[in-house]
Formats: sequence, C-alpha cells, structure tokens
Amino acid sequence: MTAETTVGAGPDVSRSRPPTARRTIRARLPLLSALALVVLALFETTQALVAPFLAPTTADWEAAAREVRAGFRPGDLIVTAPGWADPLVRMHLGDLLTIPMAARMDDARYGRVWEISQRGSRAPEARGAEAFVAKFGRLTLRRLDRPAAQVTFDFLERWQEARVSRVDSGAVPKACPWQTDRFLCEGSAGVHRELVEVDTRIRRALLAPPVAAATTVIEFPSVLLGRELVATAGLHDVWARKYATGSVHFEIWIAGQRVGQDDIGNRSGWKPTHVDTRAQDGQSLPVRFEISSSKPELRHFSFAAEARR
Amino acid sequence: MNFAARIFDLRRFRSLDTLLPIALFVAVVASLLAVEGSAGFGRDEAQYMRAGERYWGWFEGLGQNIAKGHPSRSFAASDIDAYWSDNAPDHPVIMKTLYGFSWRAFHRCTCTGPARGLHPIPIRGRHVTLPLFRRDSTAFRFPAILMSGLLAVLVFRFSRLLLGRPASVAAAALAIAQPHYFFHAPIACFDAPITTMAFAVGFAYWRSLTSWRWGVATGVVFGIALGVKHNAWLMPFFLAGHYLWMRRGDLFRLRPPRIPLAFLSMAVLGPMVFLLHWPWLWHHPIERTRIYLNRHLQHEHYNFEYLGRNWNLPPTDAALKLVRATFPVVSTALTVPVTTLALAVVGAGILARRRKNRPIVDVAEDLDPMASDTPARGASFAAAVGESASWLRPGIDVDRAPGAFLAAQTLGPLAVLTIPSTPIFGGVKHFMPGMPYLAVVSAIGLAWIATAAARALQRTSREVAIARALPVGLALMASLPAVVETGRSVPDGLTHYNMLAGGFAGGASLGMNRQFWAYCVLPMLGWVNERAPRNQRMYWHDVLNDALSMYKREGRLSLSVGDTGFAEPGVENSLMGIIVYEKHWALYEKFIWDHYGTLRPSMVRTREGVPLVIGYERPQ
Repeated sequence: MTAETTVGAGPDVSRSRPPTARRTIRARLPLLSALALVVLALFETTQALVAPFLAPTTADWEAAAREVRAGFRPGDLIVTAPGWADPLVRMHLGDLLTIPMAARMDDARYGRVWEISQRGSRAPEARGAEAFVAKFGRLTLRRLDRPAAQVTFDFLERWQEARVSRVDSGAVPKACPWQTDRFLCEGSAGVHRELVEVDTRIRRALLAPPVAAATTVIEFPSVLLGRELVATAGLHDVWARKYATGSVHFEIWIAGQRVGQDDIGNRSGWKPTHVDTRAQDGQSLPVRFEISSSKPELRHFSFAAEARR
Repeated sequence: MNFAARIFDLRRFRSLDTLLPIALFVAVVASLLAVEGSAGFGRDEAQYMRAGERYWGWFEGLGQNIAKGHPSRSFAASDIDAYWSDNAPDHPVIMKTLYGFSWRAFHRCTCTGPARGLHPIPIRGRHVTLPLFRRDSTAFRFPAILMSGLLAVLVFRFSRLLLGRPASVAAAALAIAQPHYFFHAPIACFDAPITTMAFAVGFAYWRSLTSWRWGVATGVVFGIALGVKHNAWLMPFFLAGHYLWMRRGDLFRLRPPRIPLAFLSMAVLGPMVFLLHWPWLWHHPIERTRIYLNRHLQHEHYNFEYLGRNWNLPPTDAALKLVRATFPVVSTALTVPVTTLALAVVGAGILARRRKNRPIVDVAEDLDPMASDTPARGASFAAAVGESASWLRPGIDVDRAPGAFLAAQTLGPLAVLTIPSTPIFGGVKHFMPGMPYLAVVSAIGLAWIATAAARALQRTSREVAIARALPVGLALMASLPAVVETGRSVPDGLTHYNMLAGGFAGGASLGMNRQFWAYCVLPMLGWVNERAPRNQRMYWHDVLNDALSMYKREGRLSLSVGDTGFAEPGVENSLMGIIVYEKHWALYEKFIWDHYGTLRPSMVRTREGVPLVIGYERPQ
C-alpha cells in the first residue's frame, strides 16, 4: 500500500472532525439556529429602541454653536459632518456661516476649520492639525488649523474688471457691453455672477452660457499670479442637466498661451482644473477664459477661479 | 390522545384558523388607523383624494338623473369626461372610486362651513353620513387601510397551505411590519392596494392549480388588479414563469404544457373587468387604452437619490448601468427589517433544498396538530384527492414547485427594477408587490428553525411542553424587531433604513433617498400657522394645492395661509417658505438664498437628526 492510497482510503483526520463531534454539531445546529434568531431579533429590537436617543439634541447644537461663536475669527470655515446636517449648522450659526462661505469654490483659502460632527463622521475639508476638540452631547466640535492658500487674485470678486467678448469663427470679436448687472453678449443671456446649482450643491460662480457658433471670451487684463491658478467649472441647473446633452469646452489662457482646457458635461460635477504658475509667480499677466459648445442649448456653464500662492 | 379528544382538538384548531385571520385583520386596520393621521398628504395622494371626490360627484349626478328620469345623461361622453377625466390617463379608478365612496359615507360633514369652496365638486348641502372619522382624509384612506388588512389575511391563508399556524401568523406580521410598506399602507394611493392585489392574484392562481373555480376567480381578481394599478401588467409573466417550471416535464417530453384555465380566465375576464370599471374608457376604448399604456410605458424618470447620486435619466454607460441595476436588491437589503431578511435567506435555502413532492417543512403532528389537515403541502394533490389532471386542474399531477412560485413572485418585481431603463423614482414601492412573498419565504425559514429546534429539544431534554411552545415563541421573537422597527419609522417610513444601513442617519449618509412628494410637511403646519400675516405669502415648494386644500378642510392649516406658486416666481413673491429636502431640490434652495438674501433657516424639521424640511423667513 502506498502512501497515496492510505491517505485516499481512510478519513483525513487532519481536515475533518471525528464523526461524534460532527454528529454533535449537527444535532445542535437547530438549537443554535434558534438561538441565533433570538439573539438577532433582540439585538435588532434593542437598537431600534435605542437609536432615536443617539441623535444630537437642540441643546447639543446650541452648546456647540456657542463654542464656535466664542472662538470664531473672520476667515474661518465652518463645516459639518456628515454633510446632510448642513441645514442645522446654518440654522444655529447662520450669522457666521455666510453665503460666500457655504457656496465656496473650495476650501483652500481657509486656515482654520470648525467641524461639527456626529456619529464619528469626518468632513473632507477638516484637514490639518487638531487645535481644539470638545464634545457637546452627541456632537463633536473640532478646530483644525492648517496653512491657508493666499489668494492673489479672486476672479469671482473682481469679475466686473473683466472684458467680455463674443468671437465668431473668422470674424472680428464683438464686445459684450455692461448692461445693468451683467455683460450682455449678442445671442446669449450674458455673463454675470450668480449663485448656481452644480451637482446638486449651491455654488457662487460666474454664469457664462456658451453661444451658438461662437466663443465667449472673458479676459482679465492684469492678474497677479501666484503658484497656481485653479478654475472650477460645472453646469448649473438640474433640469438643464436632465434635458440637454451637449458639453462645453473650456480653455484657460495666460499671456496668450493656452495653459489648460477641459470639457464640461452633465456628469462633470464641480470640476477643478489646476494650472501650475510657479514660473509666473508674482507677475501680473492677462488671463483669458474661453467658452464654447457645439450644442449650447440649456448649457448653463458656470465657473469660479482663483490665482493662489 | 383518544379519538374523541382528537376531534375536539382539531375543531379547536380549525376555529383558530378562522379567528387568527380576523384578529390579524383587526390588528392591521386598527394599527393603521392609529397612525395614519401622522402622515401628511403627498402630491399624488392629494390628487387621488380630489379625483375620488370628483368621481363620487358622477354617482351623485347619476342619482339625480335617475330621479329625474333620464339616467342616460350620466353616460353621455361629456358627462363622463366632466368627472372621470380627473387623473386620467394616469391611473385606473377602482381605488379612487372607493376613496370617494368612503369619504362620502364616513366623513363628519362640515362641508357647508368656511371650507365649502375647497371641495372639487359643488357642495349642495350638508351630507348625511355615518361619521366614523373626524378627518375627511381618514375617510378617504379607509379603503386602502382595509386592503392592508386583507393582505394580512391572504398572507396567512396562503402560508397555511404550506406551513404551521405560528409561522403563518408570522408571515402575515412580517408582510405588514416593513417600514416602507407600512408608510404606504394607510395612504390613499395604489401601492399598498396593488401589493394586496398582487398577492391575491398569486393566491388565486396557486389555488387554481387544483381547482377550476379558482381558475375562473383568478381572471376576476386579475381584472380588479388591472383596475388598481399598472403593476398588474407584469403579473402574468411571473405566473407563466412558474407554470412553465412546474410543468417542465411536458417541455422535456417535447409536449406543450396545457394552457391552464387561470390564464384563459385572466386573458378574457381581466380586460373585461378593466374596461368595464373605468368610465373614461367607455366612449373611446382603444384610443384611450393606448394613451393609458403609453403614459406608463414612456414614463418620465423623476429625480431620485440612490447611493449618493441623483438619478433622473436612464443611465447610458456600463458602470452606471451596473450601479443602477443593484437598486432593488440594495434597497431591499437596506429597508426590510434585518431579522426578516435573515429568515428569508434561511427560507430560500430550505426551498432550494426541498425535494419534489415533499413538504417544505416536515411539521410533525405532535408539534402542529393541523399538519395532517393539508396533505402534501405544496406537493402533488393527485394522491390525496384522487382526481386526474386537466387544463382545469393543471397542478394536480405534478409537484407544484412552491419554491419556484415564491421565487417568481418575490424576485419578479425586483428583476424588473434591475433593468436600467426602468424608472426608480418611487423607491421601494415600485417593487413592493414582491415583499409579502418575501415575508412568506421568511416564515418558511422560521418554520424550519422552529421545527428543527423543537425536535432537537425533544430529543435532548424531553421537554415536550417547551418544544411545543417553541414555534409560537420563535414566531413572536421573529416578529418583534419588525414591529418595533416599523413603529419607530412612523410617520417617516420613506426616510427609514434598517439596522444594516444605520437607521435614518445611516440612510442619509449612504445617500439613499430621503423622501418624495412632500408627505413630511405635516409637522411644519403649526410653524406656518403661527406666522400670520406673513404666511399669506407662503412658498410651499413641493406641496400641491390639493394637499393644502385638504389640510385647510381639516382645520390643520389656517384658511388665510396663501400659496405664492411654483419655482422661482413663487419664491420671489413670498415672505416665507419651505424646502422639502431632496437632493435635486438644491436649485430651489438657491432661489431662497437669492431672494431672501440669507441661508439661515428659521426652522428645520428633522427625524433622528436628519433634516427633512427646511423653513425660511425673508428677513424684514
């Protein structure tokens, strides 16, 4: 008899339990199943009864808000985690949490971030060294400190300094003159700053819908550049994103050179384009944004941009 | 046990089989009546109430025309359209008509009071009614509530064909005690009623496999289902799937299976009942049936949040199609109580392992004295009743494959929703007709555990009394979390997610849909009422005027509260307003921030910390 046949013929004691043990387990399986059912049922029932008491109370929110208010400085950012609690933060701290803060392009300019969180969540903006932490009932308040980006040029704040024109292919650019509250281009709703809804979030942006068979050009003649230029773009209006399909071509030019481009469509969300400007850091140069689309219907293109150091 | 005592014992248990469904019916109806007042009126429900009252107006006119001796006037196209065009071609009218009748019969009439003008039909005088209900809306909702009671009865009755009594009671309890179902159950819509009808059609079909009378009845029941909601269109496919599997032996022998009476009856009586029940079709049956079909075959994809993404179109690329296809399975896994789900997994395993012509769970007589009363339990009846197979009784000579039946009925509705081009805007309610069958599968799992544990207990400890009590005890234990979880969810069942998801908060964090159609504003009405006279210029966002009328008719909303209309003009003209949280409504909150110049709400209505409605006031 070879070793192989011995192993094959007899029970593999190393891999199976003795028959009596197997019989015992099999005999006990029904009772174990019943026990498991009872344990699961009791556990689920208990959590259903307990869970309502794990939510933060109004008193928790008020206490956390008092603490934030005591330590808040202009330029601080207030965020919540999970993000769905945002209306509650706005209700309790709506005097400090302004529309520009809530509808910000991103969080790079904020050096101190107050995060009010629950259930162990963390806000994506809450990066940096933990400078303060306190519990208020079911809420946790943290302050994170980190180096803030220095904004050398905020295109959104200084949008009225822009020169806006419409460029038809092969034709002379036509200026879009200022009218009441916007630059009005022929055949379009014009360019203006507005709150927009991109990717189901409210943003503050320049709304610059593309025009048919032409390019909309938004030029800032003298922009103090830093180490990078960030432009973030998206399509405004959930209904427009539902009913229209075209994409918008977006280009960034610095001093006559194209330095960035992207195509923004229904699923782009609020999409950043980063341009490395370390070579031009400290220089004031013209920056131009060009916007065009082959299917411009219902394309409410919007963007915000900052030059940063 | 001697013979006489055994007879007595069986009678006792037979009467329990009559009493238990009655008790289940009463318990379900009572519990729904107890909670329905906490549910606000959604966009659709308010429209159905309006339509129901208007349909009643047609019957009122018919009575008058009969009294005047010219009843045919009520059947003229113009007269029919004047009433029955309301909410057409959206939905057929069986439930809406019942809602209208129930309102007319059971409301406590204050109709000639200050809210007289808010009715969709002229109020000619005080109604003589049987004033069972304080609120008009309860009277409207009563038929839907009765339908849920009926579902509990049907689930029990069906389960008794397969299982012991404790597991059958648990099946009924688990069918009703599902938070999303329980939310839909008391409201005057069609989703809970069509769930009842889906079960009724399945039940009738199952019985038709051995009885020609049930074969005829299946067609009538199917016709009623067609008159409740368009989900009924899919029922024949699920039944045919089971039938072909059950008679797969014919296919193997290259012999086409007999077309059963139930299917013929469905094909003939179903459309007849459908056509007869809906006056709007009578003068233009083909054209309007086509319009009705197209309304649903080409239905828009309304916005709906799923896994953090707003879905309002059929996905076009492969990755999104895959995510979208998971919707019914993930939604079931995150909404049905976890114990129910776990038992369903066990039950599915038992069904998969079951051998032909064997009971699903071999319940010993000493554990269930009725065990021998339903021979074969899902297997062939041929030996038991001694009859030959025919198209009148096509299940008599074969194993009736209860596993395949339950799989088709449970998974069929879910499978339809896995198709990425199918709209998902109603969430769980789009595949809810599968959920009572899931509860039966859970009950099968429960029955297996209870039976096996009882046997083991008898073997090991000889504790017969405990063993006999075990099925009842485990049935209660299995139902407990479902009932408690469902109670917790009231009145925000749409927002509720189960223990796996982490409850209300967990569902929100996972980006699961929070609600739709503004059912959730009811607790905000006090806040609105307190703010006179600003509330005369109130922006109501997603709350339709029909819902506002009903709130006012019932005295829950001051008659002086205004409505500035929809979208941005509505916000612009308002002094205060609400935003009902749904992912895609951020656009409308932007309008508020724009025109009010503030992002600070005056009030946020939450559930376990999760915002549902946001109230704003324009700064002075």
